[in-house]
Amino acid sequence: MDTGTPIALEDVSYSFGKGALEKQILFDVGTRIEGGEIVILTGPSGSGKTTLLTLIGALRSAQKGSVKVLGQELLKASEKALIKVRRQIGYIFQSHNLLDSLTIHQNVQMALQLGGVRGAEAGKRIADVLQRVGLAEHEHKFPGELSGGQKQRAGIARALVNRPQIVLADEPTASLDKQSGRDVVDLIQDLAREDGSAVILVTHDNRILDVADRILHLEDGRMKSLSEVVSEGTSRMLNLLEKHDPHSANYLATFSFALARVAYADSKVSDSERDEMRRILHEVAKLEPAEVEFIMELSMMQKRARAGMDNRIANPALDKDRAEHFLSSLYAIAQADGVTSSEEIVEIEAIAAEFGLASSSNSDPG
Amino acid sequence: MFAVVPLGWLQLKAQKLRLVAAVTGIAFAVILIFVQLEFREALFVSAVRYHTAMDYDLAMLSPKTDFMVSSKQFPRGRLYQVLGFDGVESVTAVYMRLVSWRNPADPSNARNILAIGFDPSEPGFSRLLSAEQREAIKIPDQVIFDRRGRDEYGPVREMLDAGQRVSAEINDRRIAIAGMYQVGTSFGLDGGIITSDLNFLRILPTRKKSAIDFGLIKLEPGQDAAEVQARIREAIPMDVRVLTRQEFKDVEVQYWNKTTPIGYIFAFGAVMGLIVGLIIVYQILFSDVQDHLKEYATLKAMGYTHGYLRNVVLQEAIILAVLGFIPGMGIAHLVFTKGADATRLPLEMSVESAAGVFMLTLGMCAGSGLLALRKLRAVDPAEVF
Repeated sequence: MDTGTPIALEDVSYSFGKGALEKQILFDVGTRIEGGEIVILTGPSGSGKTTLLTLIGALRSAQKGSVKVLGQELLKASEKALIKVRRQIGYIFQSHNLLDSLTIHQNVQMALQLGGVRGAEAGKRIADVLQRVGLAEHEHKFPGELSGGQKQRAGIARALVNRPQIVLADEPTASLDKQSGRDVVDLIQDLAREDGSAVILVTHDNRILDVADRILHLEDGRMKSLSEVVSEGTSRMLNLLEKHDPHSANYLATFSFALARVAYADSKVSDSERDEMRRILHEVAKLEPAEVEFIMELSMMQKRARAGMDNRIANPALDKDRAEHFLSSLYAIAQADGVTSSEEIVEIEAIAAEFGLASSSNSDPG
Repeated sequence: MFAVVPLGWLQLKAQKLRLVAAVTGIAFAVILIFVQLEFREALFVSAVRYHTAMDYDLAMLSPKTDFMVSSKQFPRGRLYQVLGFDGVESVTAVYMRLVSWRNPADPSNARNILAIGFDPSEPGFSRLLSAEQREAIKIPDQVIFDRRGRDEYGPVREMLDAGQRVSAEINDRRIAIAGMYQVGTSFGLDGGIITSDLNFLRILPTRKKSAIDFGLIKLEPGQDAAEVQARIREAIPMDVRVLTRQEFKDVEVQYWNKTTPIGYIFAFGAVMGLIVGLIIVYQILFSDVQDHLKEYATLKAMGYTHGYLRNVVLQEAIILAVLGFIPGMGIAHLVFTKGADATRLPLEMSVESAAGVFMLTLGMCAGSGLLALRKLRAVDPAEVF
């Protein structure tokens, strides 16, 4: 079998219902996920992320496009083929979904016996995996005797005991408190790294986004780029702030503008310098920690723009195409009030020079 | 530890109260089925007690006779005609009629009893009565009494066993009891006396010696009953029927089973037991499947097949069948032991009937399991997310 990319999606579309009631849930979704990669799938409810997860998990057969999981094409796949793929995937569920009448040992055994592992070998593997998730002492307890976090760990042990190449987790932290949630995610991350599994984690929980190697965002059944998602969310929130508390909005904007000019004037900011800045903003400027972070981020954006100038050869933020769009748009903006003044042209040329772009783009779209 | 997780058993065991309720319900159904079937069986066995006890190969009776206690007469000459056939060794003319018996200890209490008369020189009752008893009934107004008759006939058995002389009024005639034989009661019969044809006619003066109720035909050893029966039938007019032992018994059983509602009632009772059991097991298994739908969906998502889940439910059904059958059979056995004493009916649990009821129970549980499985079809693994 193909041991290459565990998950490859191409132009996947999916609809529920038939005829007039047909409702399309996914539109031309495509991505590839490699072994050892942890991908977080986010999106508002109803965006189709659960449907996408069930397609990858072989819990439904795909209708359109191509869903290749472990080399098996799942487009219009038979129930038998789906079952075969399911057995090679580790599932972690929102509410652990352990079988209440079975001990933790037996729950894990349920997954192991699917792969035909029995007897002493099974006993050893179960003990090992429970050791890894830190439940060795609870092997013969029933799920009802464990805490939420422990149950989720047991669920992880069950998902991982077959050392699957793919792990799918659906809101694994939804029913857990902050610390247990963090522990569970770290555990998934560690174990997946050790086993080299591809992990897809569906979550609403922003606190765990940092474990991701990549974030996929679905909205209304379509993939969206992260920059689009961040821009949209941030601009919406800034608009809200402007509307409900213009005074604070101005105060924060002013601070970030000033900070960018003062602190980053020399283009060099060390971590200790940054910590000191946070302390000052908090203690002298009397800002709340979240507000401090916000100002830091806004000014960092401006610093990044400058860094783009300095590293333009090693790491160009603006490639040829984008440079052209960039300049054209500046001229168009100058033209927006109907007249392009000479001051405006001078400013644009200065920017172009700073960013190392030839301002030969005189063929403005007037 | 088990090589494979015995999921069905563990699911049942996890809900102790429900398991106890299920087992009790099934045990109840098993008892109901056992009792009904066994009473039905006892009805048939007891109905042909005399058919079994008398010594004959072919029986002759009136076509109008549909059960023993209400026999119609036919000419005795017909029976003696049979003596002329090749292969017939002997015949016995039998008179039968319900007569009124007064309890010797309490003469105000009268009760019907079956009176049987035959010529003591003929061999039809040689299995039931000893040679001595056959001599004794030649003496006028002496009869032999069924010691397994109901107690309402009075303490005859006890008195005779104690060596006392016992006499009773039968049809207003004082009759001495000269001994006892053993047959037992049935649904239509509480007890019996056997005596000579002459004594029978003394008790029933309106009966004629030439009109008999049954004729017992004994064949020479090695004769084929069916073959002789065919020859007799051909030669003798249709005003009598000639039946083999089995056919003779079948007529009686047929009457109780089909013509009276008794056989039907017991069969119906057994079916009711089966249905009660079916509903109980269905309820239990259905709610079990219902409660575990999410878990079963999880198993499907992990890669378990529908067939695996079906086996889990069937496994539960079989476990319930076994657990319910054992106490059910035990209690039914107890009921039969007590019941046989109280009713003098042949209530006993044979291995065959126990095996039969076990198969019924198993079928009942498996059937309920299959009904409950329809719910399982709807389990969609995609719904666990």
